[in-house]
Amino acid sequence: SCRISSDGKPAKFQPPPKPIIIDRQKQREERRFLSPEFIPPRGRTDPHKFYIERKDMIQRRKVFNIPEFYVGHILAVTTADPYANEKANRFVGICIQRGGKGLGATFVLRNVIEGQGVEIRYELYSPRVQAIEVLKLEKRLDDNLMYLRDALPEYSTFDVNMKPVSHLDHEEIPVNKLQVRMKPKPWSKRWERPKYNIKGIKFELPEKKMKEAQKWSQPWLEFDMLREYDTSKIEEKIWKEVNEELKK
Amino acid sequence: MAGWGLLGRLGGRLWAAAPGRPLWAAGAAAATGASGDRRQLGFVVRHVNSTTWWHEHLSEENVQFLKKITAEEYKAQTDSKLCPLKDEPWPLNEWKPDSIRVGVVAVKLGMMPIWTKSGKKHAVTLLKVQDCHVLRYISKEESGGKTSKLLVGGKNASPFFKSESAMKIFKEAGVPRKQKVATFNVTDDALIKPGTPLYAAHFRPGQFVDVTAKTIGKGFQGVMKRWGFKGQPASHGQTKTHRRPGAISTNKAAKVYRGKKMPGKMGNIYRTSFGLKVWRINTKHDIIYVNGSVPGHTNCLVKVRDSKLPTYKDCNKNPPFPTFFADGDEKLPEDLYDKEIFQFTDPSVTYA
Repeated sequence: SCRISSDGKPAKFQPPPKPIIIDRQKQREERRFLSPEFIPPRGRTDPHKFYIERKDMIQRRKVFNIPEFYVGHILAVTTADPYANEKANRFVGICIQRGGKGLGATFVLRNVIEGQGVEIRYELYSPRVQAIEVLKLEKRLDDNLMYLRDALPEYSTFDVNMKPVSHLDHEEIPVNKLQVRMKPKPWSKRWERPKYNIKGIKFELPEKKMKEAQKWSQPWLEFDMLREYDTSKIEEKIWKEVNEELKK
Repeated sequence: MAGWGLLGRLGGRLWAAAPGRPLWAAGAAAATGASGDRRQLGFVVRHVNSTTWWHEHLSEENVQFLKKITAEEYKAQTDSKLCPLKDEPWPLNEWKPDSIRVGVVAVKLGMMPIWTKSGKKHAVTLLKVQDCHVLRYISKEESGGKTSKLLVGGKNASPFFKSESAMKIFKEAGVPRKQKVATFNVTDDALIKPGTPLYAAHFRPGQFVDVTAKTIGKGFQGVMKRWGFKGQPASHGQTKTHRRPGAISTNKAAKVYRGKKMPGKMGNIYRTSFGLKVWRINTKHDIIYVNGSVPGHTNCLVKVRDSKLPTYKDCNKNPPFPTFFADGDEKLPEDLYDKEIFQFTDPSVTYA
């Protein structure tokens, strides 16, 4: 802009605009993770019962560290086993499902050992579990990777002596957009049907089959108001409660 | 013919007065009418529910006022009963192996897993003892039974929906109206003054307990669900018979025996689960953790008492007798655990 104003005198000194500092650290800390088993299911149970169960869960978490993990992460779990050599049993696998609510929460790890597919369901809060380590943090396109049973075995094999891949706390968990190739049909479930809503399979089926599978779609389900369960407020409260207790 | 006309009009009035009236009533009236026109017709007794609800004829202000004063009255009543030992309780006796003490009325909250020190998982039911008070003492002579009885009431409820005669028991005990009233047969040395509160600490971990409640009602059910009959095959020529009972008696009997298992209303009856172990007691929230499942739906009221099974006769030794008094000398920790149970404050289980 012209420094000389209309009356010929030099214009008043305008300081340059202040630089906008975006504190990326603070922005990253806003990422919250509340383990899904804390969220109470919809039902007629007294919320007081969930509160009492949560106290036990927090108590266990204070003594034993349960890391943040999602379906698709590769975990190594050591459990106490009276019949093993070292009295401890280590299993490495990809988490394909997280189920259950409250103290009975479980997760299933899958791996292919010597050509045999093995899936083990572990209870998060069982006292026999001695360590849970996250070896690789990586989310997948779906919440439920049960279709790995019908996928080629190369997608479920993971090295048992794999080294943990480092991951910084503040980074976003990467989403692996891998599309898995399947064994020939028949599969254990008809994964192409819309009710499973799977995005992580590379369907090599003919167009006709894919169109026929869409016959079982239920497009009215997403508009069904009775099925809505808004957990945002409950999650907020529980997250605050859990964090405060864990800090003590 | 005039008589017929009168009959017709009367019949019409009958019909108009009670639209649900069966046809035979009008027919019978007509028949009786034919014999004697002057005879009075039977009164049409319609069972119309003309009771009003408690605030139908009250103004809004009065309703709010009544609600406020009952809430305050409840609070005052519970506060006055907090120190039963200081209010001249009935004589406290020592426990003997023959004594039978009171039970408790609790709310079934839900179920949860627990683990033992060996790593085994068990499922437990949470029973919350909510506002439990002793209501009345009925002596042996009065009841006509073998032992004296104590009436115990459970969860607090609104006093407005019961008649004054029903509320008498609660007024005499000085206690808010309870949702469930249970009777316990009790020996004479275990009597408690009406109005004393009962807590979860009345039971101790390691003892065994019987729990009675009304099972979930399933309505009218067929014979396969109700009695577990096998039914008939789905195909191979079965005509319209897949879930039926089949034969109901033999040829020689020439009758159907009383008590034959047939379709009918299933559930909503009192049933007891015997010999359930108490794993843990939470004295702060008054919760009993009882092994296994218990009849009834979530949030239903159950009756809990010491087990009567002969196997557990020696297990329930020296319980708090006649009950646990919160204002007494004993100061219990917040959680009481059984010795086998794994407490979450301990580190993970290892096998040496």
